[in-house]
Amino acid sequence: MAAVAARKRWGRRARGGAPSYPGWLALPALGWYGAFFLAPLAFIFAYSFAELSGFAGVDFAWNLENYRYLWDPVYGEVFLRTLGLAGFGTAATLLVGFPFAYWLARYAPAKTLLLLLVILPFWTSFLIRTYAWLIILDPDFPLFRALDVNLLYSQRAIYIGVVYNYLPLMVLPLYAALSRMDWALVEAAQDLGDGPLRAFRRITLPLSLPGIVAGSLLVFIPLTGEYLIPAILGGNKTAYAGTLIAQQFSEAHDWPFGSAIAVVVIAGMTVVLVAFSRLAARGEVAHG
Amino acid sequence: MSKHEPVWERPLDRRGFVAGTAALIAAAGLGRVGDAFGAAEQQEAGQLLYYNWADYVNPTTYAAFTKATGIGVKKDFYASNEALLAKLKGGARGYDLAVPTGYMVQILAQEKLLQPIDWAKLPNVRRNISSKFRRLPFDANDRFSVAKDWGTTGFVYRTDKVKERPKTWREFFTLAKTKYSGKVTVLDGIPEVVGSTLVMLGYSYNSDSKSELDAAKKELLALKPHLLAITSTEYKQLLISGKAVMGLGWNGDGAAVAAKKPAAYVVPTEGGEFWVDSYVIPVGAKNKAAAHAWINYVYGAKANAVETSYTYYGTPLKAELVKPYLTKAVFTNPAVFPPVRTLAKLEPNKVSPRGTALRSRIWTEFKNA
Amino acid sequence: MGRKALGAHALVVYAFLYLPILIVVAYAFNGGRQTLNWEGFSTRWFGEALRDDTITSALRNSLLVALGNAAVACLLGTMLALALPRMRRSTRIPLDALVTMTLVTPEIVFGIAALVFFSHAGIALGLKTILIAHVVFNASVVALVVRARFVGMGRSFEEASYDLGAGPVSTFRQVTLPRLAPAIVAGGLLAFTFSFDDFYTSFFVSGAGTSTLPLFIFSSLRFGVSPVINAVAVLILCLTVVAIVVAYLILRRSSPKTLPGL
Repeated sequence: MAAVAARKRWGRRARGGAPSYPGWLALPALGWYGAFFLAPLAFIFAYSFAELSGFAGVDFAWNLENYRYLWDPVYGEVFLRTLGLAGFGTAATLLVGFPFAYWLARYAPAKTLLLLLVILPFWTSFLIRTYAWLIILDPDFPLFRALDVNLLYSQRAIYIGVVYNYLPLMVLPLYAALSRMDWALVEAAQDLGDGPLRAFRRITLPLSLPGIVAGSLLVFIPLTGEYLIPAILGGNKTAYAGTLIAQQFSEAHDWPFGSAIAVVVIAGMTVVLVAFSRLAARGEVAHG
Repeated sequence: MSKHEPVWERPLDRRGFVAGTAALIAAAGLGRVGDAFGAAEQQEAGQLLYYNWADYVNPTTYAAFTKATGIGVKKDFYASNEALLAKLKGGARGYDLAVPTGYMVQILAQEKLLQPIDWAKLPNVRRNISSKFRRLPFDANDRFSVAKDWGTTGFVYRTDKVKERPKTWREFFTLAKTKYSGKVTVLDGIPEVVGSTLVMLGYSYNSDSKSELDAAKKELLALKPHLLAITSTEYKQLLISGKAVMGLGWNGDGAAVAAKKPAAYVVPTEGGEFWVDSYVIPVGAKNKAAAHAWINYVYGAKANAVETSYTYYGTPLKAELVKPYLTKAVFTNPAVFPPVRTLAKLEPNKVSPRGTALRSRIWTEFKNA
Repeated sequence: MGRKALGAHALVVYAFLYLPILIVVAYAFNGGRQTLNWEGFSTRWFGEALRDDTITSALRNSLLVALGNAAVACLLGTMLALALPRMRRSTRIPLDALVTMTLVTPEIVFGIAALVFFSHAGIALGLKTILIAHVVFNASVVALVVRARFVGMGRSFEEASYDLGAGPVSTFRQVTLPRLAPAIVAGGLLAFTFSFDDFYTSFFVSGAGTSTLPLFIFSSLRFGVSPVINAVAVLILCLTVVAIVVAYLILRRSSPKTLPGL
């Protein structure tokens, strides 16, 4: 009741009074973002129009040379492969993570503890976890030797590493959304004759959509920049967008070209963000 | 609401809140943290910050150096010359000592990232260095560098698993694509891999001709699907454990493998790379005296022998000085001390900017394949 | 909905998640040097790890940066979280987009951008630059967590406080802040964790001799998984478990008898 009345009161000072938090509170954070996030990105954008001069110098020629260079099937392949990895990672973590989050939200005892147990492995270093997978995948190690499968430095090893490292990013938002669900609704629907699958599709799925969107975003976009997992688990044999950028900044020493690749990644990311936020907005509007 | 309110949604009572925020504030009192930062970033006076390749110094040498001079050593590592350049160019200041390969010494000097070395402070060097290692092409006036060691780039193979005893790059490539597919590695280094391929085709290691590089690219693309991994640091282990049977690599690593398992390091008959790694003092070094002290220390004959026995790379000192301290096995190892005629067909790396750009592009396609 | 099946699935997921951790723990206690040969139980690697001052200084650096950035992120993020929900839609939506961007921009992109920026602005690379870069995304993390709580808790209590005559500052201090505090602490904890384990961004903006633990681990892992590194990982794990338990105990001091959620 009170909640509905509160929502009706728009604007700064509600009738009867409540503290209004002035907009300037946001300034420190925004200032930080401006100086240390937007400004760097602007530099990258500017650099993408420059050219490498000599071994490590930069010449601001203000042309589209770098982009022209990128417009090539070789690089197109790299971007496609990156999208493929990001897509796979998102789909796989969703498939594995959703039932898991569902169980955690609906049936699990001691939810907080179990949730913490999901996050706990991620307090070891990302590198150590990934290198530990190298040991597990080693043909001399019992596990895969028993299965007679050699995954060392293979594409599948990369996939395993990706799912492993990105699973919590998917599970947490899913859990957050599912934990707010009123399971009585599902039970009611089933009482009224819906099969479990139908109840899921009509009630659970739409209500968990914001969680799915958030989790997908948190997995897909960072995955477009991933390069360590392919380098470590894949034998450093495959090039993804992140590999290319890192290469330009630490081996080829071509900052302008690396910046151009980064700009392409950012552009792609913006498109995805816009698409996802439209999806989320529609979800919210339809289901409040 | 539901009885299962997650803990972060339950309101805190006063005590818990005070305790929590007090802990946070105490731990991060802004003024104190600032001080701690300053202290952490400062080196202790009299410490050496040594930026080096991984596993390139005998671990006992650090302690021995500290004992002899009283100077402590802090280490940081890079995995390629290009990574070193990137770090220095990106603005990292404070390294006292680094060890780039010859061609990179030249680039760093050109980019004004090096400080001159004072030979007056290096009596051991002046006394013990072999004349072959003075006035090297990349530093004709001995202004910025002092040689650390030298070596070659070829390939190493397990003699108990590869009975064909390859002696040429061509054999290396062919065997990798056929019989030993999936068990071969190459270095994670653009100049080494592209250069070796060029040499196999009869061109110069440092060619920047587009047609020659295109031919090399074709060979590399054909080789790629048969590789196990592209690594400069893991191939030693892979060869020792037998997961790889051949690897494009450096002589020191080859000798290190051969010390543990039956293996041989080969400088292919078509040719390859001859390199010298040198000590340099980067701009912004905080403790130049410590840097000079280290160089002088490792140029002592005994200390140098300790290094050579660990890294298996060639020494720039006069051979007869170091010989008494080395085991026969190391001294007569042709991988560590290759005969003169082997060295004759090798080239030092000296690539132009255009060549580097072309190679970069090939590397991307190579990784794509 | 196949409750048992879901439970089994969850078990498999946990096994999957913990398999590498078990490996790391097991080999931290392996007496032998070679990872794949078990040579007896031993704690020598822990001693070695603690004696090696490259490791301890990297650990100290990581802790400093993580704590510092958690403090700054909590401050900035909480203020942002308070201001955002009550803004006009036309300002709030682009700001929301900005916050999201800081969270999802691939770290390689942000890392190199920060490097270019610092190098142009003449800011020396070091622990400070790592902290600055970390705060960028961690402030957003805190902002998200706190905002969710802030929006979710409703205004009724604040309004009641106002009605009873308290001014905005004391309302904030006595009503809003205590209820917000668990979310702030949770956000701070997340900020600490993300900073402590961060690799990509730190790799590009770290300076000479200012390695954080992940950077040190990276440079030494290049030549094989050594037992000392595994020991370090187990140490970090214990440290974080202790920190979490402490934080949980502090949070637990809330008695459910106080305010029923609204």
